[in-house]
Amino acid sequence: MTRKVLSGSYAQSYAAKLARAQVISAYPITPQTSIVEKLAEFVATGELAAQFIKVESEHSAMQVCISASALGARTYTATSSQGLLLMHELLHWASGMRAPIVMGVVNRAVAPPWNIGADHTDTISQRDTGWIQFYAESNQEVLDTVLEAYRLAEDPQVRLPAMVNEDAFYLSHTVEPVDVPDPETVDRFLPPREAHAVLVPGETMRLGSFTGPDHYVEFRERLAEANARVPKVFAEVEAEFRDATGRDHEGAVPTYRVDDADAVLVTMGTATTTARSVVDELRAEGRKVGLAKIRLFRPFPEDEVQRLARVADRIGVADRSWTFGRTGPVATEVAAALYTAPRRPALTGFLAGIGGRDVTPHEVRRMYDTLLSREAPTTHWVDLEEQGVKVDG
Amino acid sequence: MIEIRFHGRGGQGAVLASELLAQAAFLDGKSPQSFPFFGVERRGAPVTAYTRIDDRPVRLRTSIPNPDVVVVLDPGLLGTTRVTDGIRPHGLLLVNTPKSSEELEAPDGVRRAAVDATKIALSHGLGTPMMPIVNTAVLGALARATGVVSLEALSRAIEQFVPRSPVENRLAARDGYTTVRTVEVGALLSPLPVGAPVPRPSGEGPIAVVPSETIHTAAWRTFTPKIHLERCTKCNFCWKFCPDDAIEFDPQGFPRIRLAYCKGCGICAAECPPKTIEMLETLA
Repeated sequence: MTRKVLSGSYAQSYAAKLARAQVISAYPITPQTSIVEKLAEFVATGELAAQFIKVESEHSAMQVCISASALGARTYTATSSQGLLLMHELLHWASGMRAPIVMGVVNRAVAPPWNIGADHTDTISQRDTGWIQFYAESNQEVLDTVLEAYRLAEDPQVRLPAMVNEDAFYLSHTVEPVDVPDPETVDRFLPPREAHAVLVPGETMRLGSFTGPDHYVEFRERLAEANARVPKVFAEVEAEFRDATGRDHEGAVPTYRVDDADAVLVTMGTATTTARSVVDELRAEGRKVGLAKIRLFRPFPEDEVQRLARVADRIGVADRSWTFGRTGPVATEVAAALYTAPRRPALTGFLAGIGGRDVTPHEVRRMYDTLLSREAPTTHWVDLEEQGVKVDG
Repeated sequence: MIEIRFHGRGGQGAVLASELLAQAAFLDGKSPQSFPFFGVERRGAPVTAYTRIDDRPVRLRTSIPNPDVVVVLDPGLLGTTRVTDGIRPHGLLLVNTPKSSEELEAPDGVRRAAVDATKIALSHGLGTPMMPIVNTAVLGALARATGVVSLEALSRAIEQFVPRSPVENRLAARDGYTTVRTVEVGALLSPLPVGAPVPRPSGEGPIAVVPSETIHTAAWRTFTPKIHLERCTKCNFCWKFCPDDAIEFDPQGFPRIRLAYCKGCGICAAECPPKTIEMLETLA
């Protein structure tokens, strides 16, 4: 193991290199990040034996990954915001063709107005494409989750594409110390992809071709079943990763100081780090608050979220994107999970930090204040109230 | 934990400076975190970068509104950016400037440090007189003025992570270290107030609006066009090619620069057929 000061973008590059990705395809211009720049360098210097295929759009980058994956290759690509939106059509193809592609996404706001700040709207808009979605909180988690994502995606019981998402700037451009595991350690944890149900020259097989109503339903049902198997397989992958590296990222919904909590805030992405330090401050003041992080967003970890209902009467959800005409997308998921929970806590949704707006300790503290107040509202746009504007659902 | 905010312009190396500082702190056994903030990746546009250094992993993922140290790589920014916003009591303002630390303008109570990083950079052949690469000289000054990293760790970080002219950059860091001067003027009892980074859109009406004048893109300008009207043929090429609609016409039909919008790109000067437009360096 080597300890290096790495950006969140380079954490993706190092992970894809350690995973020995065989085909990497990317569109190199805005909104691309330095993830693929570094990978192109690894390929050019011979440090990574992969084919780097530069294409004219993100749409084509995903097509290259799907095709290479259909032939049994381990593939990687990366993108961000508008580039991810352009890929949308092919994201459905990737999951439908059961291509275990791993993609790094730097979460950036969607235009207009033009903005490159942290915001989850780009990946939330891909929620229903059948991809596994992870959201990372630190550069270490980015690197480790990419490695775990390959194991999970390629598992014969799963065979689904996975995206590992990281907040723009707060991770992508942030350098901090990261433990980079040795290649031998990673090779033991992540052996070469076992290719089955792939195209073989000379043998006749079709992937993704036409089916009528008599077969389509079965294909989609298998896809749904594969999603349903993710929690169990992910737990196994986490255990093996822990054994291999000694690091534990605590599953799909890691919690912090939730025991005996009156209020729990649910976060996704980098707001978690800041919120954790606020929890410590509030606990020191004698206020019983806790934190839960959505690390795996798709498939949504319903059981883990239901467990939160047993500990707290009040749950808040800090969303970094908004579903127009409804509410925060994570809040919607949490609400749906709590509907069948044995107890139903009061739920408040917060919108905080879109378009790269800072989620400061001050704002997190105000979220807890709101949660603990007698009548917490349904939804809150944090940091707008100070300007005299309040949107309350 | 010590929090440092860098102010520079795109192309000057402010982002690399904040990263190099993090690498150096790591070599010193500390736990650093560093990241930049920028909107448009363009030469001359103001860039802010942040570095936190602590003995344990940093548990904040936000920008730095209340810095312990503010580093200014381009003295021209002092007139357009409120660099001392939010600075803490006993905070330090370090500026790349030929002025002495006593001559630096800053609110009372802010400690001031000055280093002529441009001169140092040019003496080691780093960058050009128009665009000197001052980051390593400034970091040397920062190491001395704050003690936040050792010069030895900084030199090792430069050796490992500066792709071009590592030897010259190490010498520049050493010169910054030896020539920086710090003064204290008065005492600050609480952090200076923080203003909104840009005017927030108005909350009235169905669509949020930010008037163009409030986004001060003219602050990106390091060169200003001057039109020599005696040779102007009124061909309007400058107006046609200006990407920012920063050219208007006087009642006689001669072009005039709208300085509130001009970013100083120089396209008008390049396109002008009789070459009547001169680009003059904008002085701080």
